[in-house]
Amino acid sequence: MLQWLNQAPSLWNTTLFAISAVLLLVVLLGFVTYAIYFERKVIGWMQLRYGPNRVGPLGLLQTVADVAKLLIKEDTRPKHADKALFALAPILAYAPAFGVLAVMPFTDKIQFADLGIGLLYYVALSGITVLGVITAGWASNNKYSLIGGLRSAAQMISYEVPLVMSVVGVVLMTGSLNLREIVLAQQDVWNIVPQFLGFVVFMIAAQAELNRTPFDLPEAESELVAGYHVEYSGFRFAMFMLAEYVYMFGMGTLITILFLGGWLPIHPSLSFIPGIVWFILKLLLYVFFQFWVRATMPRLRADQLMSFAWKGLLPLALFNILLTAAVISYQNGMF
Amino acid sequence: MLGFAKGLGYTLKQLSQKKVTHMYPDVPIQMPSRFRGIQHFSPEKCIVCNQCARICPTECIQLTGKPHPDPEKRGKVIDTYDINFEICILCDLCTEVCPTEAIVMTNNFELAAYSRDELFKNLEWLDDNNTNVREEN
Amino acid sequence: MSTSPATDIRTEEMLLNVGPQHPSTHGVFRLVVKLDGETITEADPVIGYLHRGTEKLAENLTYTQIIPYTDRMDYLSAMTNNYIICHGVETMMGLEIPERAEYLRVIAMELNRVASHLVWWGTFLLDMGAMSPFLYAFRDREMILELFNELCGARMTFNYMRVGGVKWDAPPGWIEKVKDVVKHVKKQLPDYHKLVTGNEIFLNRIKGIGHYDQRTALDYSLSGVMLRCTGVKWDLRKDEPYSIYDRFEFDVPTATEGDCFARYQLRMAEIEQSLRILEQALEQFPSDGEIIGKVPRVIRPPAGETYVRIEAPRGEIGVYIASQGKDKPWRMKFRRPSFVNLQILPELLKGVNISNMVVILGSIDIVLGEVDC
Repeated sequence: MLQWLNQAPSLWNTTLFAISAVLLLVVLLGFVTYAIYFERKVIGWMQLRYGPNRVGPLGLLQTVADVAKLLIKEDTRPKHADKALFALAPILAYAPAFGVLAVMPFTDKIQFADLGIGLLYYVALSGITVLGVITAGWASNNKYSLIGGLRSAAQMISYEVPLVMSVVGVVLMTGSLNLREIVLAQQDVWNIVPQFLGFVVFMIAAQAELNRTPFDLPEAESELVAGYHVEYSGFRFAMFMLAEYVYMFGMGTLITILFLGGWLPIHPSLSFIPGIVWFILKLLLYVFFQFWVRATMPRLRADQLMSFAWKGLLPLALFNILLTAAVISYQNGMF
Repeated sequence: MLGFAKGLGYTLKQLSQKKVTHMYPDVPIQMPSRFRGIQHFSPEKCIVCNQCARICPTECIQLTGKPHPDPEKRGKVIDTYDINFEICILCDLCTEVCPTEAIVMTNNFELAAYSRDELFKNLEWLDDNNTNVREEN
Repeated sequence: MSTSPATDIRTEEMLLNVGPQHPSTHGVFRLVVKLDGETITEADPVIGYLHRGTEKLAENLTYTQIIPYTDRMDYLSAMTNNYIICHGVETMMGLEIPERAEYLRVIAMELNRVASHLVWWGTFLLDMGAMSPFLYAFRDREMILELFNELCGARMTFNYMRVGGVKWDAPPGWIEKVKDVVKHVKKQLPDYHKLVTGNEIFLNRIKGIGHYDQRTALDYSLSGVMLRCTGVKWDLRKDEPYSIYDRFEFDVPTATEGDCFARYQLRMAEIEQSLRILEQALEQFPSDGEIIGKVPRVIRPPAGETYVRIEAPRGEIGVYIASQGKDKPWRMKFRRPSFVNLQILPELLKGVNISNMVVILGSIDIVLGEVDC
């Protein structure tokens, strides 16, 4: 696939590239549709309810109906909102979420761009989403959205630091920032075992990056009503929702690649099962964990959230780097 | 961290528990026999004593009587009987005071309507509302 | 001007309107909050959105007619409201209540206390962002409401008690069902503690928040859990036994911390104590007897006035009745615990981070129907 992507551009293959990108988008939309369905079902079951079951067989078309409703809704905008920024914010939030997927190796064959600095690309691009959230909070001209936007700015920037730091251990072990090489380096043992501390820090920081429970303060519905997107409706609101779930997909993909061995099977004897199946299974495991946590946890408090990032997670991540470096140096006979 | 783990364990255990949802509009809910639903009114039993209208805390009952059509008999018979379900609180006091059980509760409770006018129920409607009538009053 | 740029930045206070439509104000309650950054400098509660003038309406109603109105004050524990008005009239008239009726009343009130605390538990956690406890609490509350539905034909607005007794006798098999539900709730409580009380996030959020001392609590005339969390052992069921509460053995849980966590623990402990009372009451329940005493056809308390008070789930609920010997009260005044307890809110919120606001408000446990009355 990569060879094919690296061909000189012609009308024919440019069209094909565009089609494959659209294909990924369709897959993604399908994922988002059923992730939302799955979330509502799982949380419903955990809360002794059935979850959606009215639209379509087993409620499978519930999300489709919801999206259709959002699309035909009136696009309202507060009178004193900043017009340009108000329109820009959902795009700013969504575009990077889709952009990060370009470097993800779903299997050893399916990948759109094999960047040498794939990991860095992901982290850098996902940082842009914060801008979308702040912009939305500011442009809505609503006090609740402003507080939500500022909170999320503080939260997402703070948690980006331990997020990146916790991955350094993996990078040290692999010696590369290329996501494909990171997966291939896990042939013998997945990174979750030697990098357990890094994994834990990454999981927590990722949860905060995704603004999901217990770190869903920016959109705390019981305090800030809905946080930064309280004034959005219709399609613009759908963009924020989409961004959130696409990020979940992105983060799940990243965790699978970094710590769970990507498309590699649990044991080499099981390699007759195609890599994509393994990948999807691992991704779903992560997604299920997300919903499970959401059904259980209360929300953190804003001030505790910040001190937890800087005083708790960051030292842990740094310690992990130190430990990894020391072990690698020892193995290389430095001491 | 132990607290998290315990909580997660508890929610996971609930996954397979029996669901408590009522499939309400598909499967009608059986209310217990004493349930206070919409009143049923039987005009032939009514002696126009006005007690229900007087006890009603929200004054939602209006009734008028007329002289008995049979000139031999004394007393009155009911002419109009209206309950305004916009303000009726289904408190059961009218059925409690009724000496002849002309007004009784039923187990029907579906009152939702598209217009406020539909909540104004007259004698015929209350007479026709004769299903699931409460036995003990 | 030669001020440094750092001091030259003009900061403004932000005025934030929380409510009347806000998911965490538990009803139509408005809180005008002045914010300096994320710190609350002033909080001004605005109430009255649900005011129906129950006390004024009562002046034109007979005593029996007032009972359904009290259902709608504290709609989460209507049984205690039913009881207080009947108790007031019975005290004025010196009526004798049959024993079976007393037991039915106590069983109903204690079941209602459990149901009310379960709602509080669920919504308190919901304010903090945990959804599931709300549904678990409502599953158990639903069982209790089912029992009430069988007993008196309504799930929340019971209109169950009458001056001199109760309206309905327990239907056949009802006592057994109550026993089962008591057993069920008792079994669920440890699970609830497992799910919530041990959770580190939860503990960090409510420990030391919304603190006040005993002096303040007494000055504000707080009652119920709001008072007991500061170490005052005051429970009207124990200190001024009404009905037949002197026949049961139960503890009055108290704490000394005076913070949200203390209130949380006390309410959970109160559920256990209520279940204890229920178990004893169900054991002692007389096998037969009258359910309503000898009451004149028209209820006319003698001229005079009286004030009676009992322990509702939210604190001391009282009624003051001034009668001129007619079938309608001349003046009636309800002391509503939610209303009185709410008065401390501005003081508790001063200087607090805004993310603690909903937790503090939630820990007071108000019902807006009762605050506005």
